[in-house]
Amino acid sequence: MANLNVNSVTVIYKGNRIGIKDASFKAEEGEIVGFIGADGTGKSSLMHAISGIIKFKGEISFGKYVYHSPKEAEKVKKYIGFMPQGLGLILYDRLTVEEHLDFFANVRNIKMDKNFKTYKQKLLHMAGLSRFTEREAEHLSGGMRQKLSLICTLIHRPRLLLLDEPTTGVDPLSRLELWEILDNIRKEEGTIIIVSTAYMQEASKMDRLLLFDDNRIMASGTSKQLTDSVRNYVYKKTPCKDTDCLELHNVTYSLKPLNSEHKDPTLEDIFFINALKNRKKLTEISVSKRERRLEIPPIVMEAKGLTKKFGDFVADDKIDMELKRNEILGLFGANGAGKTTFIKMLLGLYPIDEGELTLLSQPIRSGRDRRKLKSKIGYVSQHFALYKNMSVRENLIYFASIHQIPASEALRRIERYGKELGFSDYLDAMPKDLPLGINQRFSIAAAIIHEPVVLFLDEPTSGIDVIARHQFWQLLKLLKEQWGISILITTHYMSEAEYCDRVVLLKEGKKIADDTVENFYKKHPEASNFEEIFLEYYREAN
Amino acid sequence: MIKVFLSIVTKELLDFLRSWGLVVLVLYSFTLDVYIAGGGMQIEPRNVSVGYVDYTGGGISQKILSHLHEPEFLTPKMFLSQRELSKAIFNKEIMVGIIFDQEFEKNYRNKKEATIDVLLDATAASQSFTTLSYLQNIVLNFSKLNIPIDIDIHKLFNPNSDEHSFMALSELLSVITMLSILLPAIVFVREKEEGTWDIMLLMPINPKITILAKSFSQVIIIVAGVMITVGLVLFNGFNLPMNGSFLAFLLLTFFYAFTSAGIGLFIASVSKSMMQTAQLSMLIMMPLIFLSGAWTPVYAMHPILEKLSLLSPLRYYIEGCESIFFRGTDFVDLWHYFAGVLILGSILYWYGFRKIGKLF
Repeated sequence: MANLNVNSVTVIYKGNRIGIKDASFKAEEGEIVGFIGADGTGKSSLMHAISGIIKFKGEISFGKYVYHSPKEAEKVKKYIGFMPQGLGLILYDRLTVEEHLDFFANVRNIKMDKNFKTYKQKLLHMAGLSRFTEREAEHLSGGMRQKLSLICTLIHRPRLLLLDEPTTGVDPLSRLELWEILDNIRKEEGTIIIVSTAYMQEASKMDRLLLFDDNRIMASGTSKQLTDSVRNYVYKKTPCKDTDCLELHNVTYSLKPLNSEHKDPTLEDIFFINALKNRKKLTEISVSKRERRLEIPPIVMEAKGLTKKFGDFVADDKIDMELKRNEILGLFGANGAGKTTFIKMLLGLYPIDEGELTLLSQPIRSGRDRRKLKSKIGYVSQHFALYKNMSVRENLIYFASIHQIPASEALRRIERYGKELGFSDYLDAMPKDLPLGINQRFSIAAAIIHEPVVLFLDEPTSGIDVIARHQFWQLLKLLKEQWGISILITTHYMSEAEYCDRVVLLKEGKKIADDTVENFYKKHPEASNFEEIFLEYYREAN
Repeated sequence: MIKVFLSIVTKELLDFLRSWGLVVLVLYSFTLDVYIAGGGMQIEPRNVSVGYVDYTGGGISQKILSHLHEPEFLTPKMFLSQRELSKAIFNKEIMVGIIFDQEFEKNYRNKKEATIDVLLDATAASQSFTTLSYLQNIVLNFSKLNIPIDIDIHKLFNPNSDEHSFMALSELLSVITMLSILLPAIVFVREKEEGTWDIMLLMPINPKITILAKSFSQVIIIVAGVMITVGLVLFNGFNLPMNGSFLAFLLLTFFYAFTSAGIGLFIASVSKSMMQTAQLSMLIMMPLIFLSGAWTPVYAMHPILEKLSLLSPLRYYIEGCESIFFRGTDFVDLWHYFAGVLILGSILYWYGFRKIGKLF
C-alpha cells in the first residue's frame, strides 16, 4: 500500500523566514486531503516539500520510499504529479490540447501504446475537452485551461497528486467539474490527492482537512469533526462584552457558555475561535466622519453599453451598470470574466471602445473630463501596489502631498487612519514586511487619504485570511455608513456577495445577473448560499 | 504646483537612495569605471614579448636587442631557427619576432645595405605596430644618418602628452550618456513593473508635472555623480587641467542630461520591463557614442557617418567639454556647443515627453 506519511516537516527559507513549522499528517490511498488557509500560511511550502522540490527538515515517506531531502526524493518523483499555483501556468499557448498531452507523455517517457491512448481519451472525456483537441491553449477559457493543466498532470498516472490552489479564480461550474475529475481519479486509480484551496465551501469534497494558520497546521480532521469541535462556542448573535467573547455581524463566539441559542458552525468559525483561545486581540476598526462635507449625486456612476476589445477578443461586451450613492456594488466573476478591464475603463486606464460613461453626473468624453474628477475617486489596484522603497508613513505622506493636502493636516489624518484602521504599529515598516491583512487596510488608507466620494477596489480580498477579510468588509461597511461613499468592488469569492448591497455577475465579458442581494435570495428560495445561486446563472448562460 | 513638483522629486530621490543595487551601479560607473578606463588604457607598448633568431653570432645584433628593455619589452627570447620562432608567434607566445640573417653583420660592417627581418603578430595591431616604429627608431639611431633637419616640438593643451586624463574624460562622458538615458527610463518602467503605474496615472496632477519632476530628479542624480567624478577621480586621480569655467561645464552637463533623458523617456514609453529597457538603451546608446567621436575621431570617419555625427548630441558635448577642460575656451565662444546640445536636446526631450505623455 502506498500511503503518505509526513513527519514533523519544517521548511525555513533564506533569512530565517519560516515556511511551515512542524507539520505532520498521514494520508491513505484514494484519500483527498485538503489544505485550507490564507496566503503565506505554509500551504505551498508543505506541498513543495512533499513533492521534493525544496529542502526541508523532518521525514516524509511514501510507500516504501523514505526521504529527507530533494536528492533522496528523486526516485519518488515518477509517482508524483504536481500542479503549481497560477492559472494554466504549465501550459504552452501555441500548443493544441492534443499536443499538450503528447508532450507531457513524452517528457515522462510513456509508451504510446493502446493502453495510453484509451487513458488519454478517458482524460479528455472527463475534462470535457474531447471536442477541442485541435484547439490551441491560448484560445481556451480559464476553466478549460485549468482542466487541461490537470489532465496533463495526470497523464503519467501519478500515485500522489499535489494541486496548489487549482480552483482559485476558476468559475463555479468548471470548479465543480474539476472536483468531479478528482473524485473519479481517486476512485479508479487509488491516487492520494492533496489539494489546497482558498474556498472553504470546497471542504465538503475532501476526506480530511488540515487548517493552516501562522505557518502551522492549526487543526485537522474531517469537516464534521472540525466543526463539531467548536459547536459549543458558536451562538446566534447575542450581545456579550466579556474578553472571552467575540461579536461579529451575525454570530457571537464565546468560550464561556452563554444563555443563548447555538448556531450551526462553519469552518470559518474555527479560525475566529482559535484566535479567541489564543487571546489574540482583534483590532477594533472604526471610521470617523469625513472632514469635508460634499454633495454627492444620487447616481455616482452610470455605464451604458461599455465595450472593450483587445484585437478579436471582446473583454467586455456592452455592459450596463449603475452605482448609486451610498451603495456597495460587488462585481463578481471568474478570472478573465472582464472585471478588471471594466474597472480600468471606468478609471480611464483603458480607452472605452464603445458605450457611454457618466461619472458623478459628468459625461466622460475626454481626458480633461476625467482630470477634474480624479480628486473624488479612490482606487486600490490588484495586489495593493504601493511604493516598495518607502515606509507606510512615507507612502501616505506622498499620496497626501500629491492631493495637495496641507502637511499638518496630512500628518494628523495619517495618525488617525493608523489608529482607526489598526495599523499604527506598522507606520514605519516597509510595505513588504507587512502582513497581508495590514497591507490591505493600509492600501485603503492610501486610497481614501483625500476623502473621495467613490472607491474602486480590484480584488482586494484575494488570499487574505478569514479574520482580516472579515475586518476588511467591516471597514467598507463603516466607510459607507460614515461617509456615504459608494464602493465598486471586484472579487472571485462568490461567498462575499453577502456583504454587498447589490451584485453584478460577469461571465466571459457579458453581464449575466444584476440585482440586489435580497432579490437574489427571493428569486432562489431553495439556495442556501450565493455559490449555489451563481451556479444557476452559469448553467443558464451555457 | 511647486509643492507637488518637489514632493515627486523628493520621492524619486528617496526611492533611488533606497534601491542599493542602483546606487552601487551609479557609484561604480562614476568612480571606478572612469578610473579604470583612464588608468588602464594602454596605447604605448607594455610587456611586449620579443623573440629573435640570430644567425650572425652576436655583436651588432645583441647591441640592437639591448635597446629592447622593460617596461616596454620583456627580455628578448632566443630561438634557434626561424621555424621555431614562427611557431611561437603562431601560438601567441611571442608578439614580435626579429631575424638577423648571416649576411647582416657583414653587410653592416661593409657599409652595404643590411636587413633585419621582422615578423609581427598583427592581431595585436596597435601594440605590434608601435613596437615596429620603436624598432625603426632604434635602427635609425644606429645608422647615424646625417640629415640636416631637426624637429622642435611644442605640445599645446596637453604638454605631458598624457592620454590618461583624456581617456578618463571620454569615459565619463560615455557614462553620463548611459546613465542619463537609463535612469529616467528606469523611473518610469519601475512603476510599470511594480504595478504602481495605474496609481500614478490616477493622481490628480497634470501629467506634464509628473514627467518633468521625474526626469528632473534623475538629472539631479547625474549632476551630483558628475561632481563626484570630476572632483575625486579626474582632478585628483588624473590631474586633469581645468582651463575653462567649471560653471560652463556644469551647465552643459545639465542640458545634456535632459537631452539623454528625452531618449530615456522614449525608451520608457515603449518598454514594459527593466530587461527591455536595458536592451533598448544599449541599442540606442551604441551608435550614439560611436557617432560622437569618443572612439574614432569624427574627421577620420566615412563621409556619410561624418555627416550623421552632426545628429549625435554627444558630439557637441564631448567637443564642448574638451574645449572647456583642455583649451580653456571662453564661455562666449562655447556657444555653438551649447547650441548643438540645446537644439538636439529640445527635439529629443520634446519627442520623449510627448511619447510618454500619450500613456497618461
